[in-house]
Amino acid sequence: MPPLPPHDAPPESGMDRRSFLRTSAVLAGGLFAMASSLKPLMEMEDIPSAERFLQKYYKELTPEEMQKVLARIEREVEQQYGIRPHVRDLKPMDGVEFVYALNLTRCIGCRKCVHACVAENNQSRSPEIQYIRVLRMPHGSLDIEKADHHYAPESVPEKGYFYMPVQCQQCRNPPCVKVCPVHATWQETDGITVIDYDWCIGCRYCEAACPYWARHFNFTKPSVPRERLNPNMAYLGNRPRRQGVMEKCHFCVQRTRAGRYPACLEVCPAGARKFGNILDPNSEVSHILRTKRVFIQLKEELGTSPRFFYYFDV
Amino acid sequence: MTGIRNYLVFLRRSAQIAFVGDWRYYAWMGFLTTIVLLGLNAYAKQLAHGLIVTGMSDEVSWGVYIANFTFLVGVAAAAVMMVIPVYIYDNEELHDLVIFGELLAVAAIVMCLAFVTVDLGRPDRFWHLIPFIGQFNFPASMLSWDVIVLNGYLLLNVWICGYLLYTRYRGRKPSKWFYLPFVFIAIVWAVSIHTVTAFLYVGLGGRPFWNSAIVGPRFLASAFAAGPALIILALQVIRRITAAAPAGEPAMMTAGALASAHRRAATAADLDLLSCHLPEVAALSPEERTGCLAGATVFDVAAGGVLLRQGETDQHAFFVLAGRVVVKREENGRFRVTRSLGPGGQFGEISALNGTPRMASAIAEEPTRVLCLPAEALRVLMGNRELGAIVRSRMTERLMITDHALLTLRGIVQVSMIINVFLLANEVFKEFYSGNLHVASSKYLFLGLDGHHALVPWIWTAVAFNLVGMVLLILPISRSLKWLDVACVLCIVGIWIEKGMGLVIPGFIPTPLGEIVEYTPSLNEALVCFGIWALGLLLYTIFLRMAVPILQGRMSKANEPGARPVAAAAPARG
Amino acid sequence: MKHDAHTRLVLAGLTVVFVTLGVCFWAQLWARPEPVRPNPLVDPAFLETATWRKSYTDLIRAKADLSDFDCYGCHEKKNPPKLRYDDQHQLVVPEEHSDIVMGHGKHGRNNNCYNCHDEQNLLQLAARDGRALKLEDSVPLCGSCHGPTYRDWEAGVHGRTSGYWDRSKGPSTRQLCVNCHNPHSPKFPGRKPAPAPIPLRPAATAPAVQPKP
Repeated sequence: MPPLPPHDAPPESGMDRRSFLRTSAVLAGGLFAMASSLKPLMEMEDIPSAERFLQKYYKELTPEEMQKVLARIEREVEQQYGIRPHVRDLKPMDGVEFVYALNLTRCIGCRKCVHACVAENNQSRSPEIQYIRVLRMPHGSLDIEKADHHYAPESVPEKGYFYMPVQCQQCRNPPCVKVCPVHATWQETDGITVIDYDWCIGCRYCEAACPYWARHFNFTKPSVPRERLNPNMAYLGNRPRRQGVMEKCHFCVQRTRAGRYPACLEVCPAGARKFGNILDPNSEVSHILRTKRVFIQLKEELGTSPRFFYYFDV
Repeated sequence: MTGIRNYLVFLRRSAQIAFVGDWRYYAWMGFLTTIVLLGLNAYAKQLAHGLIVTGMSDEVSWGVYIANFTFLVGVAAAAVMMVIPVYIYDNEELHDLVIFGELLAVAAIVMCLAFVTVDLGRPDRFWHLIPFIGQFNFPASMLSWDVIVLNGYLLLNVWICGYLLYTRYRGRKPSKWFYLPFVFIAIVWAVSIHTVTAFLYVGLGGRPFWNSAIVGPRFLASAFAAGPALIILALQVIRRITAAAPAGEPAMMTAGALASAHRRAATAADLDLLSCHLPEVAALSPEERTGCLAGATVFDVAAGGVLLRQGETDQHAFFVLAGRVVVKREENGRFRVTRSLGPGGQFGEISALNGTPRMASAIAEEPTRVLCLPAEALRVLMGNRELGAIVRSRMTERLMITDHALLTLRGIVQVSMIINVFLLANEVFKEFYSGNLHVASSKYLFLGLDGHHALVPWIWTAVAFNLVGMVLLILPISRSLKWLDVACVLCIVGIWIEKGMGLVIPGFIPTPLGEIVEYTPSLNEALVCFGIWALGLLLYTIFLRMAVPILQGRMSKANEPGARPVAAAAPARG
Repeated sequence: MKHDAHTRLVLAGLTVVFVTLGVCFWAQLWARPEPVRPNPLVDPAFLETATWRKSYTDLIRAKADLSDFDCYGCHEKKNPPKLRYDDQHQLVVPEEHSDIVMGHGKHGRNNNCYNCHDEQNLLQLAARDGRALKLEDSVPLCGSCHGPTYRDWEAGVHGRTSGYWDRSKGPSTRQLCVNCHNPHSPKFPGRKPAPAPIPLRPAATAPAVQPKP
């Protein structure tokens, strides 16, 4: 019987020197291509510091940590805009639930509320982010598909139309809060749905979930003109946001939690906007909800239970 | 410690073999790497400048990234559903193919995770998603469910494939307890990953196009059509690339080589030699030994000697005592190595037991000594409990991608496509018959809305592809591989369009406030998508590059570099 | 194993491809991110919260020139000016008061200056029940006809209430009727709206076809 044969050669081995050099050349070329493919990263402006990267969730920050965070935000804003802001962490007041009532008879569609909001809340101008969208609706119908977002006549109001501004409805049953995978948005006790801009991961699930198109995303670095910066800021409100996070109307927390009306109401020339504490029977909103007959809650059938009541006077 | 060392050697060799191949392999891998780098460059631009470099907007806030993610979750789910016929219906032909399906599932899940990551606005905040470290909104948010099920599915499949491949590498029989429970879990989990992904959409009351009970079933039906269709195509590619030279290679020798081999009766010493490689043989009782040796012979064959010929009927089984035997199957004029057997390996036992014609030929690769057992002797050997289990388990380890296996998959695609088309008809009726306001998105998709009709040609192409594909699959003409491939491509493309662009984009048009803003992916976005697809293909190719030699037996513990050669046995007498 | 000719060629080709690719990446030959289009800033007039009219009270507070309100600088006391009408019974506004356009009610419902002004004392207003009201106290006069609106105004619901909703933290201010309504032509005037929203993707945002009202 012949002697037993040696083993089968392992399939992965046995390169000679030339082959090894050739393979190395390819690998080196590949590594060079990979390194230069990453060149655009040099243009990145918003690289988080270790402190910002590890910043805790809003609800887990102790008051001391929050003070540090606020001080850091003030420094960062001063660095970027040359203006030192005042950033506070305003807590909701007890016994307060905010609602908004909007008189559709009075709204003339002038869009001043849109721009007052943008100015108050330091929203990006380029690209443009606006929390309020005024819809021009034809007389007699609430069919939102008939809405015109881009009307631009010489004079408003126009005959045959009424105007309906839409912003975050601060729903009692908010779909956006339900779907956020990281709890970056939640509803506070005064009814405002807020966003922790430093916690949001930018997945935009909340934007898909919102039935009112109220949530907006920073597709790139927001740009706020220095001369129009509002330095009176709140952590959960109008402090400048960053690329890649969501934002939306928060009922001007920096004003309303200090007892003031929101900016959209302050600028409305027709007095169509009414805001206040529904738990206070003497507030304007309580009066409206008691005395006016018909209220429209947008898309009521979805069960979101918005805190925004549209009504007609005449 | 040796256990870990062994595993590290296995990993090292697997990694090494990924860099070794013929020129077609290098060309393919180089091509894929180029595309991956193009995608990486595009993603770097997106990281620097934000998602403005895509075509998305506040109005259409999810685009091709999420569309591809949705499609690929279906592929991953379906890849594992192939497992059902194997384990539940015990279809032995599909056993090795199951590993290919699960490897495809792993590659698909990695692609899904990549697509979700590139869609994030702040990927640097990924850690916010980790339970107990971040803020994990489970169980309210369906995205949190998706994170759990996708990662769990990845781990399941990596475990199953890894375990089966590693035990095959070690030449050991896999222990059922280490993989069968996970396989059954994976079957259920596969349904869950796709249902959870469907629920991401279904749960949004503000988007009437998605908020419908039929979305979940449609997802599953289209996944079980597109997934196995992809596997049918992938298996044919694997079949082709593992083929050896065409018929007529000089290594094939005539039966004369066999006849002239030195043949003698087998003795107990031969069984002892066998027991060096198959330890359970040593535990045979004296009666079992006598029974095995009855009629058994031993002979040597020179390199190239044919031991079995495909198609012949012969009721002998063989065990390799020394040397190496290659089992090759001829398919469509090409030869495929289905196994490579060293000492202790068995072949020919199926025909011996069943009397069926040989499914492959066995040829000695080098001077080889074999033990030849008639069917009766084999039965005695298998009467021993341990040996019988080993022989039986090895019977099912085949790398034969038979046409029959492909036709079984065809059956799955056929039924799934019929259901898929039926469910589409349901959806179209529900949307258009009652004519209520919520039909706007469907109108936009199928007919155009208010002068906007970018998606109309796409969806009708998809419908046409799906219908033609379904008809082809029903007709017997698709039993021919050429037409089957056509049907598969039609189904895959049709379902990709329908599930990706036909589901994700119309959900955003019109916006909840009635505005119509259309969406076109930007060049950058498309490059990122291609990059991730190329990454998936790259991974799958690497997986196959590792798995095929292990399944063929050509890479195993026995041929680790530096392993001691098998001790020479005493020369046989006579 | 040794590389054969094909493999050598492919590997050489790949090296060239990778190096070229690297150079192309460095030169950023395609898909350069476009700079963001700068949008025009809104006219600051749209951010003004002041009402478009000033009431008499505002004028007093601003110490403005009140000579226009000195009626007896031209008119005689105890001699109320006679009202003249044309043949359509439309009030004819004298030239000296040509800045006044009468439009208070359709069909000439308020064609009589003395419906609001006190005939005997032009410096004050007269309600229909005979109450005399100072010029700066015009609200009850409006309310004497416009009851429901007046009730809403009292509750802070008609017209803008600004300042603090939480009265414990600060004051709130209501406007007077005349801050928004010209008493002679009270219809709230139309105005040019602020610009429409500028979309992120203008090419994809074509205006939809709107049905006529």
